[in-house]
Amino acid sequence: MLSYLLFLATAEEGEKASAVTKLLSDFGIDLPLLLAQILCFSIVAILLWRFAFKPVLSTMEDRQRQIESGLRYAEETKALLAQAQQESAAIIKQAQLEGARFVEETRKTAKEFLDQQQKDATVRANELIAKALQAIELEHGKMLDQARLEVARLVVLTTQHVLAKELSDAERARYNEAATREITVI
Amino acid sequence: MQVSKQSRQFARQLFRLSLADGQISAERVNSVLIYLNQHPPRQPLAILKHYHRLVAAQLAKNHASVEHAGPIADSILHTIERALTQKYQRPVTATAEPNPDLIAGLRITVGDDVYESSIPSHLAALASSV
Repeated sequence: MLSYLLFLATAEEGEKASAVTKLLSDFGIDLPLLLAQILCFSIVAILLWRFAFKPVLSTMEDRQRQIESGLRYAEETKALLAQAQQESAAIIKQAQLEGARFVEETRKTAKEFLDQQQKDATVRANELIAKALQAIELEHGKMLDQARLEVARLVVLTTQHVLAKELSDAERARYNEAATREITVI
Repeated sequence: MQVSKQSRQFARQLFRLSLADGQISAERVNSVLIYLNQHPPRQPLAILKHYHRLVAAQLAKNHASVEHAGPIADSILHTIERALTQKYQRPVTATAEPNPDLIAGLRITVGDDVYESSIPSHLAALASSV
């Protein structure tokens, strides 16, 4: 490259020697120095590109890929989380419905049990009342029988006392004769 | 006191010996007692008690105790004697025993049989029917 540039400089030196020389001298540019700087710059640029920029860019690309994969993973996780939340909400709702149904059934069963217990209690109470009434009737009957016996006893006692005092001998003799007739017939 | 079977049988034999025509004879009873006095058996007291019970029961069969309240005529006693003699087919003698508790009426006891027609009995029957 350098030889080519030197050749070009030599070939066109004759055509534009005066204009180019004047321009270069006005700006203070030394052509060999410029060419050498261009060469060094190119060498440095190439070295930097190969040993600095490329690894750095590669590293940056890797990081970018990692970041993108991380973001993608986060997105997927977010979607899974939303799905899980939906499923959880559905399960909770189902459980609430089931629980409400159980509560309703339990309430209904308890009410039926309570009604049955009340009926049984009423029946037992009525039976107790009937038995008590029967017992009262029996006691009343017994009391009447006892009163009747007592009254009969008192009547007999009174009659005996009265007859013992009031009967005359003639009446007693007549009664004895009647008793004799009654006994001898037997 | 436990009376043995032999003693009871012996007392029964003595009782049968005391009868004359189905009736208790005083002479025979006297003879039995003399014999027992002369030949005391085993368990004499038990035998005598049993013999006494048998004799008393036999005497009671021929005797009617007529309890009465108020006056009672002899004809009533004779009527009762005739009726009981005819009923039991053995001679029955009646004796009157006053009992003011009867108020009025009769109670006749012949052995274990009792016939009663008195005010207390009628009142008791009335009370039991009530």
